[in-house]
Amino acid sequence: MLNRREFLQTGAAATGLLLGAADAPPKRLAIIATVYKYLSHAQHLGDRFLVGYPYGGVWHKPAIKVVSLYVDQKPDGDLSGERAREFGFQVYPTIAEALCCGGKDLAVDAVLIIAEHGDYPRNEKGQILYPRYEFFQQCAEVFARSGRSVPVYNDKHLSYSFTKAQSMVETSRRLRFPMLGGSSLPVTFRLPPLEMPLGCEIEEALMVGEGESDAMDFHAFEGLQCMVERRMHGEAGVRAVQMIEGDAVWKAGEEGRWSRDLLISALSRSDTPLGTGETESRPEDLVTSGQLPKLVANPAAYFIEYRDGLKATLLMLNGALKDFNFAARVKGVPAIQSTQFLLTPEPNVTYSACLVHGIEQMFQTRVAPYPIERTLLVSGILESCLTSKVHDHQRLETPHLKVAYQPPAQSTFCRS
Amino acid sequence: MSTDRPQLAAVVTTYFKYSHAQHIVDRFLYGYGWMGTHHRPPMDLVALYVDQVGKGDLSRSRGEQFPSMRIYPTIAEALTLGGNKLAVDGVVVVGEHGNYPRNEKGQTQYPRWEFFEQIIKVFRDSQRSVPMFNDKHLSWNWDWAKQMAETSREMGFAYMAGSSLPVTWRIPSVEMPLGSQIREALCVGYGGVDSYDFHALETIQCMVERRRGGETGVKWLQAFRGDKFWDALREGRWSHRLMEAALCRSHTLVPARQSFNDILPTDDEMHRLVKDPVAYQYEHADGLICTMILMNGLVRDFNFAADVEHHRSSSVVYAPLVKDFNFAADIGGRSEPFSTQMFLPMPDGRTTLASFFSPLVNNMEKMFLTGKPTYPVERTLLTTGLVAAGMESLYRHEERVETPHLSVTYQPTRESAFERA
Repeated sequence: MLNRREFLQTGAAATGLLLGAADAPPKRLAIIATVYKYLSHAQHLGDRFLVGYPYGGVWHKPAIKVVSLYVDQKPDGDLSGERAREFGFQVYPTIAEALCCGGKDLAVDAVLIIAEHGDYPRNEKGQILYPRYEFFQQCAEVFARSGRSVPVYNDKHLSYSFTKAQSMVETSRRLRFPMLGGSSLPVTFRLPPLEMPLGCEIEEALMVGEGESDAMDFHAFEGLQCMVERRMHGEAGVRAVQMIEGDAVWKAGEEGRWSRDLLISALSRSDTPLGTGETESRPEDLVTSGQLPKLVANPAAYFIEYRDGLKATLLMLNGALKDFNFAARVKGVPAIQSTQFLLTPEPNVTYSACLVHGIEQMFQTRVAPYPIERTLLVSGILESCLTSKVHDHQRLETPHLKVAYQPPAQSTFCRS
Repeated sequence: MSTDRPQLAAVVTTYFKYSHAQHIVDRFLYGYGWMGTHHRPPMDLVALYVDQVGKGDLSRSRGEQFPSMRIYPTIAEALTLGGNKLAVDGVVVVGEHGNYPRNEKGQTQYPRWEFFEQIIKVFRDSQRSVPMFNDKHLSWNWDWAKQMAETSREMGFAYMAGSSLPVTWRIPSVEMPLGSQIREALCVGYGGVDSYDFHALETIQCMVERRRGGETGVKWLQAFRGDKFWDALREGRWSHRLMEAALCRSHTLVPARQSFNDILPTDDEMHRLVKDPVAYQYEHADGLICTMILMNGLVRDFNFAADVEHHRSSSVVYAPLVKDFNFAADIGGRSEPFSTQMFLPMPDGRTTLASFFSPLVNNMEKMFLTGKPTYPVERTLLTTGLVAAGMESLYRHEERVETPHLSVTYQPTRESAFERA
């Protein structure tokens, strides 16, 4: 029979499920946020460290103590003070002070950076200039000064700028701390629970979704990327991108630049087709019934040419549906493979519990459950697509997006 | 039209947007998303009878759009296509929604039995019977329900019935292993009695019927409502741990505290949120105790939890391409409750399609093609009796009701019938 220590070493640690030994003191966490108000990302991710979250059929309480918070803006509805009082931590006026808990050196074991929501300007490409890079750099300065680094989670894309994003990843390598980023889409429930077999040959992939640019297109790209990165030889990076809009999207479909069959398959996974789906709840196929062009006033297609030849398309079809669905053709598999990335309803947004589970795992084990390069590449794809958009929708070569990485061998989405 | 495609008749109470008839019949007409394609059933729905045509009716416009589907004024004519002999290969009965009287116990007297009798008359007159599907419970009246199941056996036609809950997506995608030793099971759901209680009961039954020995029937049932519910919760009449496990599967847990978006409520907070809780607790002949719980104001989904002997981790049913589920989190003897959500993508603002009708229709299709039900009608016979017993107990001020008549025994199907690919 194993004693407790041996068990932890051989069992739980080996499966990556070690989420804090009961006798160890809780890890100390600093939260660095743009805003902390109801239903902001900071609130729904941050609160899960305060009150726990549902995971695997239990209400899981992380062995993590939030000890400090920095908020960049305090709009109406700011909850930072209220949370600090209730849960016994302090709100600090600067990021450095939050990380040092008012002292001179780093005084936390992990950092959660959530720079989503809040009042920040947009650039000419429509990107919101959230200060993720700036927040991150201030954390890294404290790490460097203290001679100690701790795991960092950065919500959503790393930065609106690939150059800045790349520098963030380089910093994490230089200072040797694990880093995780990205969206909930890769980790949420899938209907069905489809995973691409590691090393499969993907012939073509498509994601269809909806929502505003520089927010929802990022989520859609991460959903797409977490699937295609599992292809043969892993991720090789992106050679070129193009974003087109309007009737050109339908024309591109007719010309075979994106696959109608993949779209039909992806939409067959949707629970929210609009048009006659909305007016009469008819379970019609929006493509064959010819409704799509009437429903979508301004379609957008984002084309990605990977360096190994794979072509993938993101279609953002506002007015046609309200969910995110993926389809791919895999060599040697006759049927198109497709799934819905389930975004569960507000206010619970339980999909973010799946994300927090991965974050918590990294905070406890110092091993990121999936590579930061995924989020780095997606940050760059999105930026380049939006550059294409403002450059007359031209195809853009992207030699800078030579981001190669291997996917995690195990699946990391919610399925238990 | 090729004759090898089964020809179907649908017999429905009413046909308006979001009615069960609309969800079901529309899927035969338009097809539906299924296993990654837009699936078109390999059969033709050629006859329709609608009992009540009122405001918002869609049957007439559907009839115009699909001339191959004719609308008949009587059930007999629908089944005979206006002739004098049974002329279809299958019958879909949807006796849900519409204006029908309620009895003193609060049961809506949907005419499922009356529809059944008329259908059977055509079968008998034609000396031929065909597979039949009955949406939801068989009847509000137990004696009739029992006779419906018996008639199908006597006449030898395939008969299937019930709710979408047993066949819809599960999150996570798990099945109760056949032969499990289940110590206790419950479902936390929402909705009204004589309606959604049925869905919650079918949720429980499709899981517990897979226990060791199969189904043995139910000995008694007792309802708990309002204060009696809270007393029963406090007294531990059902497992608090299982109830919490079920709530942890919900995607719609109403936050008990302002400014929090996802927080586990205390019992006091649940009491504040849920104005009219209802539970039916019942004991199977082999001693298994199950509890059906409706908590309006707390959740808007159906969540199952069970205490299963030797259960360590949820056994995931793999999707076709998944090859690397190494999720054997067999952590030394730890026994978590077995739990899952029976997922309803509900068009109450969350979706536009009630896609949970897709697996229901797909199971019907299989029966119409093979002449064999994909799961036993006895499941729905038993849950029909449980709904009636629940309504009876509520009517008798939550008195315990002995149910010797519910000695319904059957074996589950080996194959899972729920949507998972």
